[in-house]
Amino acid sequence: MTSTSSTPSLAKAGRYLTFNLGSESYGLPVLNVREIIRLCPITPVPRMPEHIKGVINLRGSVIAVVDLRAKFQLAAVPYGERTCIIVVQISGPSGGRTFMGAIVDTVEEVVHLNEADIEATPDFGGSPDMQFILGLATLRGGVKTLLDIEKIFLEDETLALPEFTKADSAT
Amino acid sequence: MNSNNKETPATVSLLNAAELLAQIGEELAFVVPEQDAGLLPINRFVMDLEEISEGNVSTAWVGGLKAARGWLDEVLDGRGKFTAENIRHFNEWHAYMSSVLDAGPNGEGMPAWPAAWDSHPAAVDGTSAAPTRESSAAPAADEPTIRLNLAEDLELLREFHSESVELLQSIEQGVLVLEANPTDVATINSIFRAFHTFKGGAGFLHLDALRDLAHELESVLDAVRRSELHITSEIINLILAGADALKEFTNAIGSQLQGVNPGAAILVPTRQVIRNAKSALRDEPTSPEVTTPPPATAAVPSLPEPARQPVSLDSGAATAANKNRPAAMAVNTSPPKPTRKAQATTPANEPPSERTVGDPGSGFVKLDTAKLDSLVDLVGELVIAQSMVVQNPDVQNINSLQLARHLRQLSRITTDLQRNAMSLRMVPIRGLFNKMSRLVRDLATLQQKQMQLVFDGEETELDRNIVEKLGDPLIHMIRNSVDHGIESPADRIAQGKSPQGSIRLSASHQRGGIVIRITDDGKGLNSDRILAKALERGLVKADAELSESEIFSLIFLPGFSTAETVTDLSGRGVGMDVVRRNIENLRGKIEIQSVLGLGTTFTILLPLTLAIIDGMLVGVGTDRYIIPTLSIRESFRPRPGMVTLIQGRGEVVSVRGRQTPLLRLGHHLGRPSKVINPEDGIIVVVESGDAARGLLVDELIGKQEVVIKSLGQTFQHQNLLAGSAVLSDGWVGLILDVDTLVKMPSHQKPHSTSTANANL
Repeated sequence: MTSTSSTPSLAKAGRYLTFNLGSESYGLPVLNVREIIRLCPITPVPRMPEHIKGVINLRGSVIAVVDLRAKFQLAAVPYGERTCIIVVQISGPSGGRTFMGAIVDTVEEVVHLNEADIEATPDFGGSPDMQFILGLATLRGGVKTLLDIEKIFLEDETLALPEFTKADSAT
Repeated sequence: MNSNNKETPATVSLLNAAELLAQIGEELAFVVPEQDAGLLPINRFVMDLEEISEGNVSTAWVGGLKAARGWLDEVLDGRGKFTAENIRHFNEWHAYMSSVLDAGPNGEGMPAWPAAWDSHPAAVDGTSAAPTRESSAAPAADEPTIRLNLAEDLELLREFHSESVELLQSIEQGVLVLEANPTDVATINSIFRAFHTFKGGAGFLHLDALRDLAHELESVLDAVRRSELHITSEIINLILAGADALKEFTNAIGSQLQGVNPGAAILVPTRQVIRNAKSALRDEPTSPEVTTPPPATAAVPSLPEPARQPVSLDSGAATAANKNRPAAMAVNTSPPKPTRKAQATTPANEPPSERTVGDPGSGFVKLDTAKLDSLVDLVGELVIAQSMVVQNPDVQNINSLQLARHLRQLSRITTDLQRNAMSLRMVPIRGLFNKMSRLVRDLATLQQKQMQLVFDGEETELDRNIVEKLGDPLIHMIRNSVDHGIESPADRIAQGKSPQGSIRLSASHQRGGIVIRITDDGKGLNSDRILAKALERGLVKADAELSESEIFSLIFLPGFSTAETVTDLSGRGVGMDVVRRNIENLRGKIEIQSVLGLGTTFTILLPLTLAIIDGMLVGVGTDRYIIPTLSIRESFRPRPGMVTLIQGRGEVVSVRGRQTPLLRLGHHLGRPSKVINPEDGIIVVVESGDAARGLLVDELIGKQEVVIKSLGQTFQHQNLLAGSAVLSDGWVGLILDVDTLVKMPSHQKPHSTSTANANL
């Protein structure tokens, strides 16, 4: 739809859950969202990248939790009253489904986006975060970044722990 | 024909028969020529009738059933549709059968046999039915192939496949029982029914080659049932050969279902087996090249006494198989048919003693393991929620005896519920052991060795996931024992041993886990040869000083094999290293004891279940970690001077005179720790294989049984953690992977050199 862009928009019309990180507003396809829970005690997992906060007990299953602020390299803020964990369902490369949690500042609402609301991602010059972005949506004057949540988490799936020797020599 | 039967059909089975007939009648009302409506239900009901009529005295009744079977098979095998003639026959048949049922005990009111039925090709009694089949099946010299209609029958094929796997297993186990006790009526019947069910399923799916084979085998069993044939080693081999061919088919179907070469024609030689079955039925000697394994009949003309004996000694296994519940683990493998049959007829047709053994009331339910897992998860949650309620300070402040009583009751129920839910995963190891008898039997005939396999503790229960994964390593070790352990009869006699080698397979509870032992009385491990081989392969250094047990454990190294000859079954390049890896994947351990000339014992230590471990909860800073208790050798608070810093190598702690490398857990994990002086903390000595390591933690919090949860894909590439568990307060605890901790290089700089030095 926007012929000027080199990357056509991947986002489809449909319902999106919107949330905030700082002053930025983001959207996730509702189909990926399983539930939204309040922040609960997180067990840190050692030797994981900064943005992987650890694991939580979601009614008996253990799921990994990612801090989206840290993931997007935004400044960290203390968790507050409105901090939430969005539990999303992603399908792994092996076909199995996993749940993961994303910590966000606040959850806004569920909106319906028409194709006309969505435009492709402008080329920011190969910023590494670009691959997670499905497109941009303009809604009531604000711009929301639509995220490809599967990509965000799938990238983490290939995370490997640093080699012991490397980590040890670094200390 | 009813020589096996001591009682005449009782009312129960007559009632059932009447009910089934009525149902067939209802179905018949809807049958239309040139359509298949009602065909499958009618077939089902007739099968049920056949089942409950086993041993029935009335020739009119049995003859009628045979006639119906003949027509049904004809329709099923042929166009899959009724003809007007079929329908007329069935309607006549229904009236006839109803009259037979109503006829008095002395033949009053017994209807005449409709003469028109005899003209039908699928004739009435068994003796004439067999030749008809033969003429249709025998002439082609080439082997028949089958093709699967994956597009249309996918679901049916899946069902058929899983059912067949179970049937074949019960056939095999039954045959082994028959070897020991050739006149065991219950077993003969159960094998017969298994082939029969197989035939039915194959018929539905138009797997003709399978159906024909199953049919012949069924006929053989039927003859045995009617005491027209006697179980001999030839018959046993024939049944096994047939079962093997069916298994090949089944496996091929299984792999096509998994997307390997879908649609390809499946060819398994069946002619020879079918021919042998036919000649057995005609009471002719079978041609010798028939059976698999080939040398079986040629080399061992009669059943080798040794192979027979163990099973008979082991009455537990025998009765177990009779019960139809050998591997019929409550959860997944119970053959549905036999169970149903047991319920339908045991009270009526079988001697009363069977009832106590046969467990007629306990049916089995097959269920999806995912459902089971989620049930266990939910129960775990319930237990946690329960303890949160009980420990809630507000609740505790309520001064009410009644509430306290109710809470106690709640706790008791939840605990019971949890125990029950956990036990759903547990199955006896018997099924796995029974598989080994077949293996030993085949290997023994193949290698012309004499062998007995003795079981012990086969009722021991363990997690079905473990049972499943234990199969391969166990098979491998048994093969090893037979191939390389047990000597040939001549050698054994020369050494003053009994010519018959013996392998004992035992299972027992021990140390909070399961211990499985495989003991043979063969030639034992030759430590000199092992060492020489290891040196030759460069697996050890020439100057290494190894204890005997260290030398034995060399055989677990990859690339080690002392076998000089490769036999058909062992020595396919899968070594003992794979066995050890399999066992370790199950969080188990394997040990060897051996005395040269006297035999070898492999001891496998396994956790009771993969789902639960006994864990020690340790605290490091604000974190809590779980160390599997099985890996903990000891834990203690170090005294000053026990921890020494070795320059460039890290800290070591002296445990009972041995210097054990020390790992500060918090530091190693990159997490804050409260303890700087080792004396303020606790050292937990963990071991993996022969290696040990001390872990310095802040505190021991306590022992807890925890349900292991996978950490999920996010953490699948790390090896520090073996999993996680929801603790009793709802938090997630991380389970440390002791193997990694023990095996990682230790020459890291300690957290604080100065404190370590100060302690010297």
